[in-house]
Amino acid sequence: MEIRNKDLPSPEWIRSLRERYPIERRVDYLLTRKMERRGGPGYSPLPLTTLVDGVNALLRASLNGANFAVTEARWLSGGASKLQMAFTLDWDRPGVGRERTPLVLRMEPAESIVSTDRLREFQLIKAFEGKVPVPPVFWCDPEGEYLPYPALIYGFAEGNTKPKDSGSGVSGTGIRLSPDLRVKLGRQFVDHLATIHRHDPRDPTLTAFDVPEPGTQSALWGVNWWDRVWEEDGGEEIPLLRVASNWLRRNLPVLDTPSIIHSDYRLGNFLFTEHDAKITAILDWELGQIGDRHQDLAWTTSRTFSGVDDDGTFLVCGMMPERQFFDLYEEATGYTVNAKTVHWYKIYNNFWLASLLIGTGYRVARNGKTHQDVLVTWLMGVGYVALDQMRTQIEEGV
Amino acid sequence: MELRAEIQIKSMIKALTDVVLPAVDPINQLAVEQTRLVIGMLSLMSKQLPIQFQFDRDELQRLLGFAGTLLVDKAEEPGYAGALRQLAEAHRAGAQVLERCLVDPATLLQVVHELRAATSDLVAAVPATNDPALIERVESTVMELSREQLLRDRSLLLPQGWELDPDAIPAIETLLAPLLGAR
Repeated sequence: MEIRNKDLPSPEWIRSLRERYPIERRVDYLLTRKMERRGGPGYSPLPLTTLVDGVNALLRASLNGANFAVTEARWLSGGASKLQMAFTLDWDRPGVGRERTPLVLRMEPAESIVSTDRLREFQLIKAFEGKVPVPPVFWCDPEGEYLPYPALIYGFAEGNTKPKDSGSGVSGTGIRLSPDLRVKLGRQFVDHLATIHRHDPRDPTLTAFDVPEPGTQSALWGVNWWDRVWEEDGGEEIPLLRVASNWLRRNLPVLDTPSIIHSDYRLGNFLFTEHDAKITAILDWELGQIGDRHQDLAWTTSRTFSGVDDDGTFLVCGMMPERQFFDLYEEATGYTVNAKTVHWYKIYNNFWLASLLIGTGYRVARNGKTHQDVLVTWLMGVGYVALDQMRTQIEEGV
Repeated sequence: MELRAEIQIKSMIKALTDVVLPAVDPINQLAVEQTRLVIGMLSLMSKQLPIQFQFDRDELQRLLGFAGTLLVDKAEEPGYAGALRQLAEAHRAGAQVLERCLVDPATLLQVVHELRAATSDLVAAVPATNDPALIERVESTVMELSREQLLRDRSLLLPQGWELDPDAIPAIETLLAPLLGAR
């Protein structure tokens, strides 16, 4: 039994993990950067002026000396993983003219509950502008060259994540839709997912992504990714995660066609306007990748995000029964849905969710690395529900 | 269970110090003072919790020593004699408890961690044997262990409200009844 100081990882250990778990190049880079910086200081509160200075520096470099002003800076809440500052930019917007544009800076803390890439997020949203509703995204500082940590600048999109009369839990779970909204939003929800999955995975603008070969490479990259995260971050060992890793590796699904995967496509992660029941922005692209469409299908149909009809039928994201969701999806994409592969990805999704919530959540809170360690700590509890779901799903077999 | 008091208190102190206290209206002196007191109380708890058991055991040990000293006296006066008998009874009960309290909770947790890690290493190593029957036996044993433990984990976390059907989870007091009854 090896004892590692995960709070101060040695270069040799980082190197051995990289060799042991081959993954997408950019993900490897992000995890390595995380580990190399782990021994550094935790997150200390930043004054707004520091962020405004950083935004000014980024804009000076991006707007080629144009005249602009950043005003009305203020903190925003929301999101378990990133800091958010709202502000107004007074500038000459290309194609529009002088404008006061409300914007949001979305910046990583010292170490996030999930190590994702602002560059990948930026590229994906840009790739889908005009194809599916996305929030406007303006500038990216992927390495924290201008801001204290890597960051993105977004515009605002109209709409809300839930109806006015619905409550919700943490991270947008527990939202309830009226029967009328279910029908109207449901079809758009499926169609937008179809558009995402039908997008050319070899889009030349997506330079921060690797395209997996048809076969088992995509699934193997996934298992390696989260096995590595667990090795890097996990505290108390969970033997069940090792059983799950063994099971996933024994039953790797074969990828037929690589697709763009959103990875968190669900109710609570899109905005809509209630008066015309229109989806106005699909949010939270940070875990997006190129992989197997069944990953999204398994995630979206998870019981965690489901609602229940009056007669007790489970509704995918509170919108429609699962069979109807898959039928509409197959009709919209021309792809088939393989039930065995969906099942594999349901186990995989719980595997990475538990690794992230219990492993990374523990590590970042222990080292005081985020602006909301208390939320990260609170969310660790969901990991145990995910673990038990995963255990039941493994028992159900291949 | 990783979601333990130590990390909960640490994250609460950080939230109160970094976010809440700076946002409290400085004119509301009562709110400022009570926020500071809550931070102070949580800091005290984070100091006390890891050594609370040893602190109490140390006190019990010294109380038994002092009681032993007092019990050598003989008494004729009925009131004092009765009190001495009560002290002798409490001394006997305390000595029995002290005998059962020789292992620190930290040691208990440490061996739990070691067993978990060793079990994980075994599960990770078993695929290399290429012995399907052995793999099946090791993994199904861990699945059964996990089923029992996760029920307890979920029960302990019920107040968080994550369960879709909380009534299907037995109360943690029920699951731990054999141990709680032995206190």
